[in-house]
Amino acid sequence: MSWRVPLAKLEIPETDVQAVLDCLRSGWLTMGPRTNDFEQQFAAYVGSPHAVAVNSCTAALHLSCIAAGLGPGDEAIVAGMTFVSTPNAVRYTGATPVLCEIGGPEDMNIDVADVERRITPNTKAVLAVHFCGYPAPVLELRELCDAHGLVLIEDAAQAVAATVDDSGRRTGTVGDLACFSLFSKNQLPVGEGGMVTSANEELVAKVRSLRSHAMTSVTWDRHRGYADTYDVVDVGYNFRLDEPRAALALSRLPRLDESIESRRALARTYRRELAGLDGLGFVWDDAAVEAASHFAFPVLLPDRQARDRFRERLQELGVQTTWYPAIHQFTDYTQTFGELSLPKVEEAADRHAALPMSSGFSAEEAQIVVDAVKQAIAAELDAAA
Amino acid sequence: MRCPPASSLIRLTAATGTFPEIPFFDLRVEEEDLEAVAETLRSGWLTMGPRTEKFEGMFADYVGARHAVAVSSCTAALHLAYLGAGVGEGDEVIVPAFTFAATAAAAIYCGGTPVFADIPGKHDLGIDPEDVESKITDRTKAVCAVHFAGYPAPVERLRAICDERGIALIEDAAHGPGATIDGRHIGTFGLASCFSFFSNKVLSVGEGGMLVTDDDELAARARRLRSYGMTSGTWARHSGATITYDVTELGYNYKLDEPRSAMLMSRLARLDRDLARRRELIMIYRRSLSEMDGLTLPYRDEDVATASGYVMPILLDDPDFQREFRARLRERHGVQTSVFYPATHTFTAYRERYKDVSLPNTELASRTEVTIPLFSHLTDEDQMRVIEGIRDSLK
Repeated sequence: MSWRVPLAKLEIPETDVQAVLDCLRSGWLTMGPRTNDFEQQFAAYVGSPHAVAVNSCTAALHLSCIAAGLGPGDEAIVAGMTFVSTPNAVRYTGATPVLCEIGGPEDMNIDVADVERRITPNTKAVLAVHFCGYPAPVLELRELCDAHGLVLIEDAAQAVAATVDDSGRRTGTVGDLACFSLFSKNQLPVGEGGMVTSANEELVAKVRSLRSHAMTSVTWDRHRGYADTYDVVDVGYNFRLDEPRAALALSRLPRLDESIESRRALARTYRRELAGLDGLGFVWDDAAVEAASHFAFPVLLPDRQARDRFRERLQELGVQTTWYPAIHQFTDYTQTFGELSLPKVEEAADRHAALPMSSGFSAEEAQIVVDAVKQAIAAELDAAA
Repeated sequence: MRCPPASSLIRLTAATGTFPEIPFFDLRVEEEDLEAVAETLRSGWLTMGPRTEKFEGMFADYVGARHAVAVSSCTAALHLAYLGAGVGEGDEVIVPAFTFAATAAAAIYCGGTPVFADIPGKHDLGIDPEDVESKITDRTKAVCAVHFAGYPAPVERLRAICDERGIALIEDAAHGPGATIDGRHIGTFGLASCFSFFSNKVLSVGEGGMLVTDDDELAARARRLRSYGMTSGTWARHSGATITYDVTELGYNYKLDEPRSAMLMSRLARLDRDLARRRELIMIYRRSLSEMDGLTLPYRDEDVATASGYVMPILLDDPDFQREFRARLRERHGVQTSVFYPATHTFTAYRERYKDVSLPNTELASRTEVTIPLFSHLTDEDQMRVIEGIRDSLK
């Protein structure tokens, strides 16, 4: 179907197209100089000493969990409100994800006190998610993890360039490892792609090795005559990014701040135009809006039924929305881990709907969304009357 | 590639490394490929969607299979194929060691154990069915055959061996596509088969792969597992087909994206022409090199017409000459070579896990194999330089 306003819109200007075509014309597509360059620029942008490019954020999380030393018998505490990749990455290593609570529907990020309650002698790591681009309390988690000797992994898939304190310190610089997504809907999109940042050289070396089958040299090294053969020193993966995607990311990186500012402006518009509607609530507050990098804009409805009706009405009006189901309620998770109760996660999952959010929307498109939301809320009130 | 790519990005000096004058593989992207990618980027839709679906259909038609499932790499395809064959904790997968490590690694991803089988000898570098048969145990769940260098492995015989015992045959067709057995494409003999679109392959895009199968259920499961085990994807939700999803199984992100599918579609249209040129170059090599003393050419002249011609392997007769021979070619003649392959069971990671594996034919081939330049736009003149370089380096 054709949406009047889709969930996200991606515009690729001619400069980006030419950057990719230049790369293709060079004939060198395997991870090489452009990927190296992108890693350095991304690391500098985030404010982390090292960045390693991979082919998805799922891969980034997987390798981070391995680097963190997770394995069978270990537990990792994972924010209960996230995309399924976060706890899945723990499972790939044979370890058990322990899903935990969030602040509530008005703060969908990880609840530090609940993390603390769930620490056991088997706990080895905590995976915090900066949900929808709003920074999680990672500085508090850092203290907690240090006190208990746990590895902190930031899932910053949705939150490149969000800030964690007043000094402007960015997400991805607090955890021992942080994972970013370059997926089409994210702030720095290339199609499929991901990134790991870390200040720990040992962890970085591990991630770098495992993304390319733990080979001691890569194709690019051999092509340049730096190596003529290789050893395989671990069971690794093919999680490599390739050069055309690195070229696209490199071309877009200088515009990332501007793109996030445009998302933030849309979030401010939504909050201004939709404030005070009966039966519609916001998540987080104005201060969080300034710190966030705005992957998505969730709003709250009174309950699941109202949320579902809200989404259906918006769909009829040509406005696409989405929502994040509670992971512990997926068939795979109930079958594997049994029934779990996370009341705050469940309430947040039931009550939220995410409105269109990306950098390419015009004022007219924002207005279409605002009008549609008002209309859907009015229809709900009429039906109740 | 003669010139360094993206020269501004490269900080190379003669003292630290040099680009080869004649690389062992080279990739040329044609104007029509660029158009296809540019048009996709301008569309603004990059997530696996209509182009990927179309490419899957074209690829399935090309090899003559019911289903083709595009994934992020051949390694990912192998992982999904083994899962489709039911490989799990404690199961064994019989694989050749004379191939890239991914063939064995994917078994470990599933919790299984790779059991290595030898190759028949220096004239045939594919898997040896007799050795496969001798390594079957109660725990064997699958056999993976590699079509080495694009020369079809004996998959009909392996299929019979596997069927008799209820074992799945998986084809690692990374070195295909385009090779055939009696007119039937490789990749259609096993329960599932895996293709690679890595930069140096006959159909290349950077990183990418494909799982091919006639099994409806395996294909449906592979589709779910490449996308986190979700019951619907982003494109289905964008196109209004569905508005929510469940997760029914532990899945992965093995998705390809639209720019790569667009480029692969464009290149697939030229594949047969490229393969014909590769075969022509191989026959020229064979005619010239067969007259030289000190090397053996695996396979026979009559095998070339039905092979994909992925790489040109030669085997040196002297088991201690490989390094020196390659150095001479590189330093005296500017010719880059590779070794296909260092044997998987001899790598540190595998020696540590699986002790005392002995595969005499594989080990000898690893020690003597040299892969010489082969790509469809290799010029006659450059090929002659390679041939003369080999003649000189053998002295």
